Amino acid sequence: MKEIIAIIRPKKVSPTRNALELIGFPSMTAIAVIGRGLQRGIAGEINIECPPELLVPNNKGGMRYIPKRLLSIVVQDSDVDKVVKTIIDVNQTAQIGDGKIFVCPLDNAVRVRTDETGESAVL
Amino acid sequence: MKMIRAILRPETAESVAEALADAGFVSMTQIRVFGRGKQKGITVGTVRYEELPKTMILMVVEDKNVDDVVDLIKDRAFTGNFGDGKIFVGPVEEAYTVRTGAKGL
Repeated sequence: MKEIIAIIRPKKVSPTRNALELIGFPSMTAIAVIGRGLQRGIAGEINIECPPELLVPNNKGGMRYIPKRLLSIVVQDSDVDKVVKTIIDVNQTAQIGDGKIFVCPLDNAVRVRTDETGESAVL
Repeated sequence: MKMIRAILRPETAESVAEALADAGFVSMTQIRVFGRGKQKGITVGTVRYEELPKTMILMVVEDKNVDDVVDLIKDRAFTGNFGDGKIFVGPVEEAYTVRTGAKGL
């Protein structure tokens, strides 16, 4: 089994959740994180309507970190591509800051309620 | 690729992040976490704190850069006292950029 770690925009969490639910992966863990990517923090990345008179003149500095959501989803090996493709499709906005997806191997999983281990503990 | 998870003192995390950015490792994620180590928390006077606030820095780097990053974190996060933190390195098989759908970091 594999752990898919996706770091995405906070407002894209519920569309992602709905899309994953449709293809049969309702389980996930979401964590509020802050972070930055190759471009460092970019102020314009967060889409807030801001009247021009409120903007500080000559303020070109960005943010140090940008709030994101980290989704952790554990799936079987065969489902990795499907889930990754769905996350990418839902989250693409063509603007910098859409996020990253990492796929990490996992050795074992345990369902606490029933003590199942391995493949049957996932889904 | 490897995932580096460093659990550090919140006050040293910012200087670690700066040092990593200067060395060219800009991308990272910070998570506020609570935890304890072998010393089972800390006792101040008569009060026992079971879990201490820490900052977890999570970053994915190429295999060849792992040693550099770990050395940098060790250097900046060191105070010599209990509670400086831990660094874990784990495997990552694939990475995708969502905007382009491209594989790789």
